[in-house]
Parts: sequence; C-alpha cells; structure tokens
Amino acid sequence: MIRDTHAMKHLNCLLATLAVAALAIPSVPALADEPVFFQPWAAAIKVSKGGVQIVRGEKTYPGHLGAKLKVNDAVVTSADGSVGMVFLDNSVLTMGPDTEVVLKRYSFDPTTYMGGFDAHVKRGTVSLQAGNLADSGPDNVSVTTPQAELKGNAKQLLISVGETK
Amino acid sequence: MKRLVYSATLCSLLLLAGCSTSREYYGISGDKGSMTVTSRNSTKPSSTTLDANTPVVMHDGDKTRAADINADQLRGKFTKALEAQPLPPKRFTLYFIEGSDTLTAGSKAAVTAIFEEIKQRPAPDLIVVGHTDRVGTVAANDQLAARRVNTMREQLIKLGVDPENIQASGRGERDPLVPTADEVEEPRNRRVEILVR
Repeated sequence: MIRDTHAMKHLNCLLATLAVAALAIPSVPALADEPVFFQPWAAAIKVSKGGVQIVRGEKTYPGHLGAKLKVNDAVVTSADGSVGMVFLDNSVLTMGPDTEVVLKRYSFDPTTYMGGFDAHVKRGTVSLQAGNLADSGPDNVSVTTPQAELKGNAKQLLISVGETK
Repeated sequence: MKRLVYSATLCSLLLLAGCSTSREYYGISGDKGSMTVTSRNSTKPSSTTLDANTPVVMHDGDKTRAADINADQLRGKFTKALEAQPLPPKRFTLYFIEGSDTLTAGSKAAVTAIFEEIKQRPAPDLIVVGHTDRVGTVAANDQLAARRVNTMREQLIKLGVDPENIQASGRGERDPLVPTADEVEEPRNRRVEILVR
C-alpha cells in the first residue's frame, strides 16, 4: 500500500511535468504527432581522449567522461581528440580528431521507441551505430554533411568530411 | 570585409581550378539495411544508395557517386574514431511476482551483480525498462510496469546511483520476452530490464 502511494506520487509528478512541458510548447507543428515527455539529456560521453568540447549556445564546456549532451549542442574534437557517446535509444556515435558534430534534433519515446535523430557532421570522421530509433522507422535517423543528406536504416555508418583533393 | 572578398575570390578561383573541392566519403558495414545519400546541391540533383553491393559512396564536390576507395581503405581513415567506441551495454533482467512490484527471490540476489557491473564502468548510466505479461488491460499493465520501474529506480538511488544517470520507462505488455496470446500468464514477461552502459 505504501509502495502504491509512492508510485502514485511519482506518476503525479510525471503528469505534472508533462503538463508543464505541454504548456511551455504552445504549438509546434513538427511535434504534433510526437509525444512530449521529460528527458534531461540525449546522450552521455563514455570515452573521451585529448581535446573534446561541448558548445552549448554561447558557452563551451569540457567534454569529459560522463558529460551529457542536449539537443542543439555541438561536440568538437581537437587534433589530439576523440570521443564516444551513447544516446538514450542506445545509438552510439564516435568522433575522431578535428571533428565537429551538431545534434540538431533528438527525441526518443522510451515506451513506443518512436522519435527522431538528426545530426550534422561539419567536418572530420564520425561513426554512427544505430539504436532503437533506426529499428522503429527508416526515416527516423538522418545525418547531414555540408554536401549531402543521409537517411536510412543501416546499422553502422561511417562519414568522413573535409578531405581536399 | 576586404578580407572576406579576397577569400571569396580565392575560393571561386580554386573551385574553377577544381582543386579545393572538399570530398566526403560515406560507408556502411554489415549486410543489413541501406542508406540513401542525396546531394544537397539543389542545382545538380544526385543520389546514390549505400548498401551491401555499394558499401562506400562519395561526394566529389559535384555529385554523389560510387567511391574511388574500397571499404578497407575507408575504415583506415577511422582508426581514432573507432578506438573511441564505448563498452557495449550489459543487460540484466529481474523478475517479479505476479501483479506486484516485488522481486522474485532469485532476482533479489541479481541486484548485487548489477552493482558489480556499475563499478567496472568509467562513467556508468542505467536504462531501466519495465514489462508485464498480458494479463489485464494495456493501460493497467502500463501502470504495473511503471510501478515496477519506480520500485527499482528508488532502490538503485537508495544504493547510491545518481538519479541523473537513471532513465526509467515502462513498455507494459508491448515487448514480451516470450510472445503469448492476450490474458495468458507468463512469469518470464513480468520483468524489469536494466541496461548498464
């Protein structure tokens, strides 16, 4: 019985958060068919070597082990840097040196596994291992580069941008 | 401003000479799935599909096409990126007594193994997903799954896991370990899966 009350409290808290989140977003057409729920972060850094930075708005944070990524963050590695991160849907993205990636969109409904993942690779070398999002719809995952857009359900993707010849 | 004009001029000269165009390479591995690579150059549309037959595609600055390097050569460019691969997540499954959020006796002991795994990882986080069997309505099972997950979540926090590093959700009866008809009791589906990542 005590447990139930506790669970109810949690549920009420969650519902309240959802209500607040719904109020805070008046009417964004793109979100109309996607559920709104509270997720404090999209991905966590699990491997970090050399220079790694997270650029969030005007601020720059160190991309150290355990650091969390949010939508619109850019991750930048320097000439001696590399980084590996895991998303909420178990997608894994790793970056080699001199690489920059912007997380343009990320939403993942952990109940239905629906949502979307859009990343922009500005330069460098990036590997992406698809997670639950890629399984639930072929158009859920999209990666853009300066010259192309990639869409599909491949399990592992490699992208290299910025070689001059 | 002057500088900008200079560099713009330089850029177009180099483009004319065909030597400053930046190349991009795209590859997939494994024989499952495909990816469509579409050029963003709207004046010259082009598109090439990455699949088991064409595992490497390039954009030569003009359009997309089959690459001038093979899959091994492409992989060679990714040594550092692939070395940054995180440890694969480890999955634990805990079972519950029917209709309740009480762990079975066997699963209580498994909680220790979860903590051993957490200790092995440099920056651990947990994904906790609750499931039920198909006895009861979808809505009731969503509530039951949420109760199971909340119980586990609270226990993990009590044992010292940072709440920020726990993502909890319920899948109800949507994702049975053992598929059954509706209203069939199945102890193996009354579970919480914990991914240590």
